[in-house]
Amino acid sequence: MKAVFIAYNEAQGAAVLEALEKVFIKGFTLWEQVQGRGSRDGEPHLGSHAWPTMNSAMVTFVEDDASKRLKERLKEIDDLKPALGLRVFTWTIDED
Amino acid sequence: MSLFSSAVKKPITTALIFVAIAIFGIFSLITLPIDLFPHIESNTIMVMTSYSGASASDIENNISKPLENTLNSVSYLKHISSQSRENVSVISLEFQYGRDIETATNDVRDKLEMVKSYLPDGASNPVIFKFGSDDIPILILSVTAKESMAGLYKIMDEKIVNELARVNGVGSVSVSGIPKREIMVLCDPYKLDAYNLTIEAISSLIASENRNIPAGTIETGSNTYSLRVQKEFGSSKEIEDLVVGSYNGGNVYLRDVARVVDGLQERSQESFINGQLGGMVIIQKQTGENSVQIVDKVKEELPKLEKNLPSDIKLNVIIDTTENITRTIGSLERTIVITLLIVMLVVFFFLGRWRATIIILITIPISLLASLVYLYATGNTLNMISMSSLSIAIGMVVDAAIVVLENITSHIDKGSNPKQAAVYATNEVAMAVVASSLTTLAVFLPMTLVSGLAGIMFRQLGWMVSIVITVSTLCALALTPMMCSTMLRAQNKDKDAGWYKLIFTPINKFLDWLSRTYARILDWALRHKRIVVAIAVGILAAVGAICGPLMKSEFIPEQDNGRISVTVQLPVGTRQEITRDLALELDRRWRAEFPEIQRLGLAEGTADSDNMFASMRSNGSHIISMNISCGSMEKRKRSIKEISNIMMSELAEYNQIRRFNVVAGGQQGGMGGQTVCQIDLYGYDFGATDEAAAQVSSWFKELGVKQTVISRDDYIPEYQVDLDREKIAQYGLNTATVATFLRNRINGAIASEYRESGDEYDIRVRYAPEYRQSMKDVENITVYSSTGQAIKLRELGTIVEAMTPPTIARKDRERYVSVTAPLPDGMATSDMNEAISAKIEENGLPAGVSWKIGGTYDDQVQTFKSLGLLMVLIIILVFIVMAAQFESLTYPFVIMFAVPFAFVGVLIGLVLTGTPLSIMAMVGAVMTIGIVVNNGIVLVDYANLNRERGMGIIRAVVDSGHSRLRPVLMTTLTTVLGMLPLALGRGEGSEVWRGMGMTVAWGLSVSTVVTLVFVPVLYTIFAAFGLTRKRKKALKAANQTQTIPQNS
Repeated sequence: MKAVFIAYNEAQGAAVLEALEKVFIKGFTLWEQVQGRGSRDGEPHLGSHAWPTMNSAMVTFVEDDASKRLKERLKEIDDLKPALGLRVFTWTIDED
Repeated sequence: MSLFSSAVKKPITTALIFVAIAIFGIFSLITLPIDLFPHIESNTIMVMTSYSGASASDIENNISKPLENTLNSVSYLKHISSQSRENVSVISLEFQYGRDIETATNDVRDKLEMVKSYLPDGASNPVIFKFGSDDIPILILSVTAKESMAGLYKIMDEKIVNELARVNGVGSVSVSGIPKREIMVLCDPYKLDAYNLTIEAISSLIASENRNIPAGTIETGSNTYSLRVQKEFGSSKEIEDLVVGSYNGGNVYLRDVARVVDGLQERSQESFINGQLGGMVIIQKQTGENSVQIVDKVKEELPKLEKNLPSDIKLNVIIDTTENITRTIGSLERTIVITLLIVMLVVFFFLGRWRATIIILITIPISLLASLVYLYATGNTLNMISMSSLSIAIGMVVDAAIVVLENITSHIDKGSNPKQAAVYATNEVAMAVVASSLTTLAVFLPMTLVSGLAGIMFRQLGWMVSIVITVSTLCALALTPMMCSTMLRAQNKDKDAGWYKLIFTPINKFLDWLSRTYARILDWALRHKRIVVAIAVGILAAVGAICGPLMKSEFIPEQDNGRISVTVQLPVGTRQEITRDLALELDRRWRAEFPEIQRLGLAEGTADSDNMFASMRSNGSHIISMNISCGSMEKRKRSIKEISNIMMSELAEYNQIRRFNVVAGGQQGGMGGQTVCQIDLYGYDFGATDEAAAQVSSWFKELGVKQTVISRDDYIPEYQVDLDREKIAQYGLNTATVATFLRNRINGAIASEYRESGDEYDIRVRYAPEYRQSMKDVENITVYSSTGQAIKLRELGTIVEAMTPPTIARKDRERYVSVTAPLPDGMATSDMNEAISAKIEENGLPAGVSWKIGGTYDDQVQTFKSLGLLMVLIIILVFIVMAAQFESLTYPFVIMFAVPFAFVGVLIGLVLTGTPLSIMAMVGAVMTIGIVVNNGIVLVDYANLNRERGMGIIRAVVDSGHSRLRPVLMTTLTTVLGMLPLALGRGEGSEVWRGMGMTVAWGLSVSTVVTLVFVPVLYTIFAAFGLTRKRKKALKAANQTQTIPQNS
């Protein structure tokens, strides 16, 4: 079992949900309108005067292979529009 | 959910809401009536009191003065003036504009009620009149006839007047210049004397012969018959055969002592149209009705009515006040279309995408149509003010949509889905868009609060532009994102068509080069702040010092409406024939000399008392009044001002003319009328004020004025019959009986009415014209005493020539006389006021005479004052809006520096083009305040953003200039170029709004150029100052935290 955390520009919302559907993931938790800043490059998403865009954050708990497929899908989205910024982080979790 | 996200989610609803607004707008557009100006309620009330037998000065002391003293306390009164002449006092009360005239009338009525008991016993009750622009005739028709001339009055009355009066909205229709039929019994005084007859005897005989009398009923057998004496005249011939007396046993018939003429009234007003004798039909509208609609309806009726007329009667239009309205609105419509095209081109030029251009441009018709709904709902009209507001607004409505679209495009280009980009991108700029619309509203909403004349004119402008801006902001926040989400795609540069590349590659290259050059200039300027500030201050001081004194001012520009009115006065008492000859000579001369003249209508002679309009104008056998129509200004080379100037110098050549008045535009003062300089001279002594008026008049002439009009008439010569009371008493007569004798012989006695097919005509008995031409004839009039003794009038008294004193005019409770002079070419009101004031100051006036500049100068000063106040209010409001947006007091202060440079631009523009500062130009300057700050807002906002993103001050500013130049240029160009059609318009009525378009265009261009460099420099200075202060504070705080532990 993996926990997948996705942080992305809110403009990508529809694409991310579509990706989830494509790999048959039903459950997720989504926070809209959250602030965020990347560690390396890319624009911060702070909803401020200087950086007006906002992020969305999602967490979903899936089987390992589903997590893999999801990561691939999300990578495709990110590669298509790198300026928007989309990051995925996973970690293993206990199943009980 | 926010406005834009719901708009994007429900595109159909959004689209249909705006379609609905557009449909309402189109409906309003179709039904809106047109007019020249917004409805202006009259602000004058007249109070007329008659006191028969009193002389002018008696009237002044006993009627005018007490009434003035009481009425002076009515509230909101601006001026009170009075005219006291023999028998009558007329007081005019001028109220401040915007005062409800009904309330004012009630106040006046209350005051009159109070003072009534103090008036002399013989004085009539004061009567209140309201006279406004609604009373000016809207249409004057000419009637010419040949064979039908004799019966023309009747034909006109039955077939035209009655029919036209039935048209909805027509107030009154009157016929002038067409003599009525009259049966005249013209007696020979010598024959009357020979047969011992008098005019009175003949009149009463005619009256008692011309009778139908019922005599009761008679019963014969089973029937009842009514019995009547039916002896009314069946034809005018019958009158001749009346037996008026007997002499030496024989009958004396009327034909023996008089001739009976069944003809036309003597000595009435004659009117000529293009040299042809005819009459006039004068049509006035009902108060509050729309002129254009009524005239259209009347013109629709005319061909139908003409069919019923005899074929020799021709109807033509002499004056149609609505022609100018229609032409003016037409030229404004063209201006709006041109503006629309220009804005469209600018947007396409900068965006280079036709889909984006359509999205932006769609906001224009929608916002404009929405404001028409307002006009319709409030019962307003499409007029010069509302239409030019639309033209002004076109350049501004696209600004908000451009900002939104630009941000959405950049998001889409980064890779966002158009639907989501539309929402997020709009969200990002929504605040900025609302704020910049608010600065514009901060200018236009206060305009709706202005009082006075300016208020009437600019309330509509304020509302219109405010509504347009509000709707366009709504459009930008709902319709624009919705359309972007459905229409825009990520730009694929490689797919562009060849022609597209051909056009837009050089454009883009040029714009990029411009941005880079600007960034370089900015970079240099930021490193040479002192020099830049010095140059800016230098420009400000130089322009202020050089152009300031050269600037002229005027109230409302003169409008060339193609009409000239001329009044010529010959010496009082000139015979009508002589007046007519001169009138026709002038008519021929001018129509030959000025091919521009389309119609020349003239009238001379005394008007009938039953012709309201004609009798209200000054008339008399010595007065010629002309109405000249020159057609549209676009079709002629000379302006009416030039033509009327030539007319003035030509009239001055005629020695027999005592005074003349040529008025270009048909009216003086007011809205778009001829601008004049008026000097009011106050003083009790007639001699002193007359002398002063003559002096002022000659000074005016020295200054190049061709004609001056002195308001006070000269003493009027007349003959008075001075009866000797003792002598008339000896014969058992009194003054009244003698006067009646005199009147019956000269003016005539109306003996009876001749009836024919339902109409009545006067039967007038008087001396034949050849027996009432000289003083001798008057002296020889026979008067009969109570005992029947015949006495000649010369035995009862003498006939003396006397002078009637003129009307005593008072203004603000003091006797005054005014000297009015139309301005010569190239002179503004302010120039003339200064020049004439200097002359008066230099030479002085006779003792006891004080002077003041009168006319519209008062209104001008007051209006400029209220516009000045408005300007201060607007500057404060704009500052507040900006301070709220930036949450800072420094940045708005920096941006505000654009305002003085806008004024510099306005000054340069006015002086270079020689345009005087009119209230229109002033309003243009006020508008500029709200528009110029928008550029500053964009620049400063982006510089702040860059700094927040971590750039240094100078880099932040240069980068902001580099990346924001395009939107700044785009919004500025749409506004400036959108003003050009107004500023350069040559169409009908363009004189009025040209000033407004020009001030905005010049002010905005100059201030944009200057502020693009100066505002960033100031920004850097203040930002650096703020930074140093912050650092010092931090340092101090750090020092304190260090020192505290040391102390403890």
